[in-house]
Amino acid sequence: MIADYNEEAKKITWYLISAPLQDEEALRYVEAMSLLKIELNHYESILFSNMLENKWRMASIDAALALKDPNNNVRRKLFVMLAILEASPNYTKYFLARDFSVFYYFRLISISFRSVIRAILGLIILYKIKKKCN
Amino acid sequence: MQLNYDYIVVGSGASGAIAAKKLVDEGVNVAVLDIGLKDEYYHNLIPNDDFETIRKKDKQQYVYFLGKDYEGISWDSNRVGSQLTPPRNFLNKFADKLMPFGSETFHPLESLARGGLGGGWGLGCFTFSKPELEAVGLNEKEMLSAYQSVVSYIGVSGANDDATPYSLGDLKDIQNPPNIEENLKGIQQSYEKHKKNLNKKGVFVGRSGLALLTKDKPGRLATKYRDMGFWSDTNKSAYRSWITVDELSSKPNFSYHEKCMVLRFYEKDNSVKVVVKRTDTNELQVFSCKKLILAAGVLGTSRIAIRSFDYKKNKLPILSNPYSYVPCLQWRRLGKKIEQHKISFSQLTLYLDENRNNFDVGVASLFSYRSLLLFKLIKESPMNFADSRILMQFLQSSFTIAGIHHPERRSPNKFIQLEKDSNSFTGDVLKGSYELSEDELKTNSDRERKICQVLKKLGCFPLKTIPTPYGASIHYGGSMSFDDSGEFFTISKSGKLGGTKNVYVADSSGFGYLPAKGVTLTLMANAYRVAKKSLKNE
Ligand SMILES: Cc1cc2nc3c(=O)[nH]c(=O)nc-3n(C[C@H](O)[C@H](O)[C@H](O)COP(=O)(O)OP(=O)(O)OC[C@H]3O[C@@H](n4cnc5c(N)ncnc54)[C@H](O)[C@@H]3O)c2cc1C
Repeated sequence: MIADYNEEAKKITWYLISAPLQDEEALRYVEAMSLLKIELNHYESILFSNMLENKWRMASIDAALALKDPNNNVRRKLFVMLAILEASPNYTKYFLARDFSVFYYFRLISISFRSVIRAILGLIILYKIKKKCN
Repeated sequence: MQLNYDYIVVGSGASGAIAAKKLVDEGVNVAVLDIGLKDEYYHNLIPNDDFETIRKKDKQQYVYFLGKDYEGISWDSNRVGSQLTPPRNFLNKFADKLMPFGSETFHPLESLARGGLGGGWGLGCFTFSKPELEAVGLNEKEMLSAYQSVVSYIGVSGANDDATPYSLGDLKDIQNPPNIEENLKGIQQSYEKHKKNLNKKGVFVGRSGLALLTKDKPGRLATKYRDMGFWSDTNKSAYRSWITVDELSSKPNFSYHEKCMVLRFYEKDNSVKVVVKRTDTNELQVFSCKKLILAAGVLGTSRIAIRSFDYKKNKLPILSNPYSYVPCLQWRRLGKKIEQHKISFSQLTLYLDENRNNFDVGVASLFSYRSLLLFKLIKESPMNFADSRILMQFLQSSFTIAGIHHPERRSPNKFIQLEKDSNSFTGDVLKGSYELSEDELKTNSDRERKICQVLKKLGCFPLKTIPTPYGASIHYGGSMSFDDSGEFFTISKSGKLGGTKNVYVADSSGFGYLPAKGVTLTLMANAYRVAKKSLKNE
């Protein structure tokens, strides 16, 4: 179980900030999971194992859920990891506001575009998984 | 244990602490009965440093930012008390267990803490105008002198500007306002440019009155701009009601009894008996005093009064300001670093006084967003977390949150009711219902629309208006009324509870109208006034 949590923590972190997870934060994720007891139902478990397959899947399913079912427990797991990363000096630079150059606007435009694509792909994946579950 | 006092004050919140202070200063023998929960865990963990330095350096920050049981990573969308961080969670700990409240439509936040809700309030200080005080049921002359005494004691900072008539009025002894941060400075400058037109429409913007020191006071230091105001109280720069309780505890004529849940009182042979159920042993105890001052918060005081009058009437009116908040984007601040040294509290307030009579004014307190952490904002966006994180990190410095309060009046659809329930700690449970009429809803949504238009003019683009459940403003009043008839559940002008000889009410239970301005400075001033009157036997 702990090994599973460790593995998922690494994958979620890679998805969230494209950086490797350090041991302290991995431990915190394991601890948080055992304390918060987030239980996934059958459908959510399938979704989650699908997400763990690769970063694009994770992003797409998350994007689709953000639109269709934002309070889904699968997203809650990602959210816990996000909070753990934010509350660690190892990852401060990913969260604190800083001065961005004007060129950053191009990055934001591409990210918005990527986000839409992810959501569309995610909706297709969700549809397929739902169909399978039924 | 001593059970006999000149005065007993129930509760140590903003009202109880101030009432007790006045009484102790006058030399009478005072006991405060309270549940008295404290933060025993977090305060020693939080470094005496600024937010940015802590974020970059402290390896233990996850413990207090997220909570020792990760309770700070809240997933539900209940927006009542969402500003309460893990180190502040003790404020409403055990409230649902010891003082259950049941309602589908009303969601108040209650406290059993030493210092009550005043241990986590946002420090916003306002005086009520003459017409507002009249509608509340209070005398302007008496209140002005009480406001002055309270302000001089707790230490309030603010500016003399266009908004002064709505915030601190003519009060003296006001400290300079804290340095304004860039985010809010932009709005202030924009207001200066458009002021002529805005004033014509009844819009005034100015620095917020705050119970935050910018100059040292004995035992307390001026703010060090650490932006940790939602997490810790280092240097006691912010006024918290427990500061008064701590201060009084060194006086020989003051006693503080914790773990005492007051159930009811009765009067016998010129004294008041106070029946207490101990929260540690469940035993009953009876204290005795010459005069009793109820300051248990509006709902707490209502419970005690209803029981003491044998449930003769168990349904009372209630008031709580409707509250919405509007996250806005300020284009001037896009993609900028946030200054390291700032404060967390509202530094600017916008008033919409369409009738230009300082009555029924809409109030929007303006905040920047940083120290409550980015992950909570990321959750609100309809995007995947990874992309949302990138976007929010960029937008963070440009977020301004407008917290809009509406004035509120009584109606038959806003009430609380105490029902017997042998399973509960106190043998009863408070229920409630809160509904606004179509007209009230329309007035409020029109007011919100107008405030959003003004915000746009000031360079803040409103993203969406998020209503909160009734009760979430954490401003309460109106369960009794100021009236000299002496009937049960009335409060005389001097603060005496109808149907009693020596019981006074010091909190905002009697306020028949709640202006949109925060109620706390006024309820502290009222508590001061009531304590003074009770000493004079009025
Ligand atoms: C996050 C937050 C931000 C806020 N910001 C602002 C602001 O900016 N401006 C503003 O004006 N207001 C603000 N408020 C509201 C403000 O905190 C309250 O109006 C004020 O503290 C109420 O004081 P009180 O004395 O009436 O009651 P409380 O603070 O509720 O105190 C009640 C006391 O009575 C005790 N008690 C209750 N029942 C019993 C019993 N049966 N026996 C014994 N003891 C009992 C409790 O332990 C407590 O000590 C805010 C509140 C919060 C939580």
